[in-house]
Amino acid sequence: MNLTYFLFLICIIVCTLIITYWAAKRSKTTNRFYTAAGSLTGFQNGMAIAGDFISAASFLGIVGTIAINGYDGFLYSIGFLVSYLIVLFLIAEPVHRLGTYSLGDVICSRFPGNKMRWLMAIGAFMISILYMIPQLVASGFLLRLLLDIDYSISVVVIGGLMTIYVVFGGMVATSWVQIVKTVVLMSGTFLLSLIVFSNFNWNVADLIEQVKEGTPLGDQFFFPGHLFDNPLEFLSLQLALVLGTAGLPHILIRLFTVRNTLEVRRSLISSTWIIGLFYLMTLVLGLGTVALLGYQKMVAADPTGNLAAPLLAKEVGGDFLLAFISAIAFTTIVAVVAGLVISATTAFSHDIYHHIIKKGKSTEKEQLRAARWTALGIGFISTLFALRLETINVTFLVSLTFIVAASSNFPVLLLTIYWKKFNQVGAISGMVSGLAASLILVVLGPHIMNPDGGWIAREAVISLHNPGIIAIPIGFLGAYLGTIFSRNQPQSEAEYQRFFKKSQTGIRPGSESS
Amino acid sequence: MDETFQKLMQEKKRFLLPALIFLFIFYFMLPLSLIFFPEAMNQTSFVSGVTWGWLYAFMQIPMTWTMAWIYHIKSKRFDRIVEEIKREELL
Repeated sequence: MNLTYFLFLICIIVCTLIITYWAAKRSKTTNRFYTAAGSLTGFQNGMAIAGDFISAASFLGIVGTIAINGYDGFLYSIGFLVSYLIVLFLIAEPVHRLGTYSLGDVICSRFPGNKMRWLMAIGAFMISILYMIPQLVASGFLLRLLLDIDYSISVVVIGGLMTIYVVFGGMVATSWVQIVKTVVLMSGTFLLSLIVFSNFNWNVADLIEQVKEGTPLGDQFFFPGHLFDNPLEFLSLQLALVLGTAGLPHILIRLFTVRNTLEVRRSLISSTWIIGLFYLMTLVLGLGTVALLGYQKMVAADPTGNLAAPLLAKEVGGDFLLAFISAIAFTTIVAVVAGLVISATTAFSHDIYHHIIKKGKSTEKEQLRAARWTALGIGFISTLFALRLETINVTFLVSLTFIVAASSNFPVLLLTIYWKKFNQVGAISGMVSGLAASLILVVLGPHIMNPDGGWIAREAVISLHNPGIIAIPIGFLGAYLGTIFSRNQPQSEAEYQRFFKKSQTGIRPGSESS
Repeated sequence: MDETFQKLMQEKKRFLLPALIFLFIFYFMLPLSLIFFPEAMNQTSFVSGVTWGWLYAFMQIPMTWTMAWIYHIKSKRFDRIVEEIKREELL
């Protein structure tokens, strides 16, 4: 590792640790630890949401996918972006009004009880951990490729940093690390996009001509069909992408960090702008890589295409720019995993420890201590897992996360908020069936069952890589059947009206009588 | 007070239902048209050098921004009704 890389990395580590130090002094209450006491403005939270959402897989993966597959790669980004409208229209404001710290709070405000809370906590915990481990594993490989650091050292550094941010700085530190990441990521990709255009004298037609020469696909590069040749698979993926975000706990808990629903809307609107502009720039970078480097050179460095953006940086700006882009990739990873640690921590220490074990009676001090210990435990265990998983391909966990979120959390959230007849049995059966369906379908699918290097070396039972189109309806169906077959515990009409009114206006139930 | 709340929900529904239907159609028509009419989608559109497939995919981004913006404008009115409900409850 040469000095430039080292300086950039140290700079980022020191800056984020200063943020954490500053945040630690402001995280002395549970409210501040879990939600930064609602102190962020809409725009700040919008940047943090973008920082939470754009993973290294988006930054490096999508640039690479576009560079290899052309048009189809760009379609990934579209699904990610449009999903924010579902969150904004249906989920965001009720979640903000009903919950305090976790999704468990949201559901339990209608269906109170330990069973429901257990399920929501386990769901949030699982989704966060399932998403975090592949990110950590990928970061290990990435840093090894980029900076020539040993796999285990990179995993330990990133795992250690994310744990420090959350343990000491809670949501305040996590938010600001994510905001810094968004600023750095957006300016870096913007700079790189400008350099790409300047290489073609700002003439887009030249760029496109050059792309056609650089790719083995030729003219076909700009036509669909290189990534998704199976229509069902394609639709299934688009469905999971567009519904998945509305069930991701680490994104939804960010909605508690602002003051009111106006700021919630501002958060989501700013994040759609940031994410939309970002994906437009990844398109430029993807095309730029093919045009300036050519397909062969890119695939020779890494067959998955994940190194497209760094290679492009090196080609147009030499070692310095490469170091800069690598530093951005590093920041991207730590910001995302820190968001996942805090989401898993909230699920465990707020829902399970405070509400279930202590029956909601633990003191401020105990809660805060529990949260910090939980964060430490989660950071430590996930780092250990990531270290052990070096030789195993775990990238399928990323798509699994979206499917689990879309088929268990999303139906239950949606029906809890909007369906009058929904009941607790339905919520439980919806969560369980969505979760079980996604797990079983992925295990029976080609990620695991594959004669060519799968964990089970046999032909896959279900040929879909993304079984969302089957799992999501099963989640909804489970919730529906559970509800209609358990008519013995109906919720009173008045009770639902009070809940619904709170979810739509924020007016607390019972305030009329007082 | 319930009347005002009913009014709020009706207005919300009147906006959200068509908006969601439009959103789903606009979004899923992209993959569906790519699956069923690949030929047509590969034709150059009215913007020279840009095929319908690319144009449609790009349109999803301004669509998202516009829909979010319209919702934002609408919500200001919803918020006013909520304030009204709160005032009525205090009386």
